[in-house]
Parts: sequence; structure tokens; C-alpha cells
Amino acid sequence: MPASLRSRSFVIMALLPALLIFIVFAIVPIFWSAYYGFFEWKGLGAAKLIGLDNYRMILEDHVFWRALKNNLILVVSAVIGQVSVALLLSLLLLKNTMFNRLMRSAVFLPMVLSTVVVGLIWGYIYHPQIGLLNQLLETLGLEAWRRPWLDDPKINMFAVSIPINWANIGPYLIIFIAALQNISSEIEDAAKIDGAIGWRKLFFVTLPMIWGTVVVTVILCISGSLKAFDHVIVMTRGGPAQSTELLATYMYNNTFTVYRYGYGSAVSTMIILISAVLIGLNHIITKRRG
Amino acid sequence: MIDARSEKMRGSLWRKPISGIAKIILLFYAIITLYPLYWLVISAFKSNQEFFNRPYSWPQHWQFDNITRAWDLGNMDRAVLNSTIVTISALLLTIVLGMLAAYVLARFPFKWSGVVKGLFLLGMLIPIHSTLVPLFIFMNKLGMLNTYWSLILPYTAFELPIAIFLGMAYIVSIPREIEEAAMIDGNGWWGIFGRIIFPLSLPIVATITILAFLRFWNDFSFALVFINSQALKTLPLSLSLFSDGFGTDYSLTMGAMFIAAIPTILIFLIFQEQIMKGMVAGSVKG
Repeated sequence: MPASLRSRSFVIMALLPALLIFIVFAIVPIFWSAYYGFFEWKGLGAAKLIGLDNYRMILEDHVFWRALKNNLILVVSAVIGQVSVALLLSLLLLKNTMFNRLMRSAVFLPMVLSTVVVGLIWGYIYHPQIGLLNQLLETLGLEAWRRPWLDDPKINMFAVSIPINWANIGPYLIIFIAALQNISSEIEDAAKIDGAIGWRKLFFVTLPMIWGTVVVTVILCISGSLKAFDHVIVMTRGGPAQSTELLATYMYNNTFTVYRYGYGSAVSTMIILISAVLIGLNHIITKRRG
Repeated sequence: MIDARSEKMRGSLWRKPISGIAKIILLFYAIITLYPLYWLVISAFKSNQEFFNRPYSWPQHWQFDNITRAWDLGNMDRAVLNSTIVTISALLLTIVLGMLAAYVLARFPFKWSGVVKGLFLLGMLIPIHSTLVPLFIFMNKLGMLNTYWSLILPYTAFELPIAIFLGMAYIVSIPREIEEAAMIDGNGWWGIFGRIIFPLSLPIVATITILAFLRFWNDFSFALVFINSQALKTLPLSLSLFSDGFGTDYSLTMGAMFIAAIPTILIFLIFQEQIMKGMVAGSVKG
């Protein structure tokens, strides 16, 4: 039939360019990085096949584990600093008043800045001498609290996590407001008749109703924190002494600073595997709930 | 009656101070959130001396030459041009190819359509940084590094999934009768897409455009790895080098940041409703 032939060629012609770009630049690289992970290669000259050695080395590499731990610190700080704070704010900013809309915009605004701008501003805020934070502490008479915020390995991961939370809280706030506004007024009325007000209503009616959204946002936090890269590259480059190294910065530094292409590729593959495991776990947990 | 009224009054009497306190706390929170941006703006117009000595105060003498010096020394005109070229090209590709794919996946049931949808869904979960090394090696072999294409194609690839899923959800809601009528009028599928589906989908195209604009314009990691040539540096990339090259000239870097931040802040102020809605749709789907 000519008509169905025509639609078939349309399907192919219309879908193919998008599919091709997507597969070549997003899907295939995953397999390449797993493949390059089997080689020792300095980027120039011949690559040497070394089998699973890179992957074995990763498992014994304490910097890799430290990077993973730092990523997990970011996950925890994101769940507290982004999800919980956004949830609290969304309960306060739920009603569509002028004041609330202005507040939502204020919280959302940092989201539209480039990660480089965010990293640079906060780098200046944390700067040991000229930094706004230390100057503020001095003004307040709290000179003993002054710190080299990004250089002290005890606190620099927390210092790094604050700008990331600052920049990313907005979307979570808006997601929670959307979820809360979807709770039907009948349920609200029923809860009121049953005497559920204040805290009781919050814990027994509101939170269970939006639990699905809370689960999704936690997952977004996990995958977002595994992707963390830009802010840290701009603020600390993973230093000092690799104390703020993340999986992605470790991959970058291995490949493009010390030219261990094979090892960097193997770290890339590990990032994908870890993400897949976490997403798979989430799938199992949420399925059991549903 | 009287009881009910007095209870109501008691309620509102209580609620007013509480909501007043909540408002003050919220306002305080908003001020803390906005302060770093306010600080960026005032610092961009101060001398280095003033930046250090009076960090909180309003600039005494507005130094507009921070902005002009940053513009000249940082080759910002070149960076703005590069960012514009890359962003607009990737936007066009994302929108045209994404909407075409969305139309096919929304309307034409074929054998592999489930697989293709699943593949695009997978794309939203891929951590983009884990593709930097293989893409770098691949582009190096093809001689694609240090070209506009080395940014345009990966930007498009990673934005297509969101564009396609937003587009599909929208196209499904367009009544089929309109297409049938257009077909009777003698249009082929390309004509129907170009004359009917695409124009009707403009609201979602607007959302996709704004989200993609913010992502492309602000991207740092792809530019960091794929672009070395001074002439091709995008805005975030030249900004990141600013902080190294002009180490102690703080107000100069602040001026450069001001140049980089103003366009996205303006876009946000104009399109905020659409951006907020789009971010929700994009992030929930992802």
C-alpha cells in the first residue's frame, strides 16, 4: 500500500536524525568507556591491553573510595539541605499570594546561574582573606570562628555542599508546591471533619499524600549528587590533597591532568555502574511500595 | 453561634502573630538566599580597595570600567558570540529533531517504538560526566575537538530526551481529527508536521527552548573538555579562566561575572512562570 509505505518512510526519516545523534553522543560513549577501561593508555602512542587491572586497581584505590564517600556526603547534605528545606518552605509558601510568589522566585533565582558563576561567587565568599564570610565573622566579633573554609579538610566538603544546595533548592520547592496543590480539596475537608489539624494533619494526611513525590526527589538528589562536578572544579579542583575529590573530578583529573586515559575511563564506567545500582535499588524500593 | 464566633476570633488572633513571625523568618531566608547575588552586583561596581575595605556597603563611586575592562581583557565579546552561536545551533537542532521524533513516537505505533522510547528514557539517567573521556577520545580521532560541533552535538544529544518526552506528552493531547482533515486537504506527513503539529505545539516548544537555553548557555563541563582554542571559548569557560589569570583583580572578575549572569537573570525575570513549570516537568520526568 503506498500510503503505509509513505508513512513508513516518514517514520524513518523523522526519527533517524534524533536517534542517530543521541546514540552516537550519549549511548555509545558508555560502552566505549567500559572498553577503554581495559587499556593502559597515555593518550598518545599505543594503548596496552591490561584486562581488568584498571578495575582491580580502582577497588584498592583509597582516593576512589574517598571520592565516593565525598559524593555520599553530598547526597546526605542534599537530602537535608534541598529536600527537607524545600518541603518545609513549600508548606509555608503553598498559598498563591503575592508575597509567596515573590518568595518562591527568590528561592528559585540562583538556579538559572551558570555553575561557574555559582562556584566563583562562593569561592569569594569562602576566601580566607577577602572572603565575605570571614569578614562577617570579624564584624560580629567572632574572629575565633574564622577559617580557610575550602582548605580545611575537616569542613571543606560541607563548605562545598552549601553552594550546591543554594543553587538547586528551587526546583524541589516548586515540585513540592505542585504536589501539595494536587491534593484534592475533598481530602482536605474530610481531614478537617475528622479533626485532623496542625501537626496531626501534616503527618497523617499531607505527608502520606505526597510521599511518592518525596521519594522521587530523593532519587533526583542521589543522581544529582553523583553528577556533581562543575562547582567543585571551579572552587577547589578536588583539592587540597584530594580532600574534596568527587568521582567525576577524579575521573577528570586522572584523564586530563595526569593523562591516565584508561584509568579515567574505568572510573567513568564505575560512575555509570554506581548510578545504575542506585537507580535499580530505587526501582525495587518504589515498586514494593506501590 | 456566639461560641463559634469567639472560637473563630481566637483562631485568627492566634494565627495572625504566628503567620507574622513565619513571614519574618521567610523574609530573612529570602534575604540570605539573594544576598550573594546582591553582593555580586555591588562588588562588580567597586574598586578593589573598596571591595576589600567596605564589603557590605553600596558602592561610593560606581566603577563602570570594571565591566568594560572585563569585556575587553577577557575577550568577552568573542565569548558571548561563541556562546550565542553554540546555543542557537543546538537549540534549533534540539527543537526540530526533538519535535519530529516526539511526533513519530506519539502518533505512529511501530514495532520498535517501545525500545526507542526506553532508550531515550535511559538517556535522562546517564551521568553526562561519565561520557566526557570517551567523547573526548572519539572527537579527537575525528578531528572534531575545538570546533563548534564538539559542543553542539553533545548538547543536542543530552537535551533530546527531555525535549522528546515533553513534546510527546503534549502532542498526544492534540485531537487526531485535525490531522485527518489536513490529510484530506492533501497534506503529507511532513506537511502535517510543519503546518499543523509544530505550530499547535508552540507552548511546549517555548518551554523546551527556555530550559535548553539555560542548560546550553550555562554549560561548563563539555566546554572545559572539548574546547582549548582561545577563539572558541564560551562564556562560562572564559569566566573560569578569569579567576586564574587575574588572581588579585577581584572587581574585574566580579565585573566579568556580572556580564555572564545578567542575561540568565533577565530571562528568568521575564519567563519565570514558564521556567518553573518546565523545570518541574523536566525533572519529574527525568
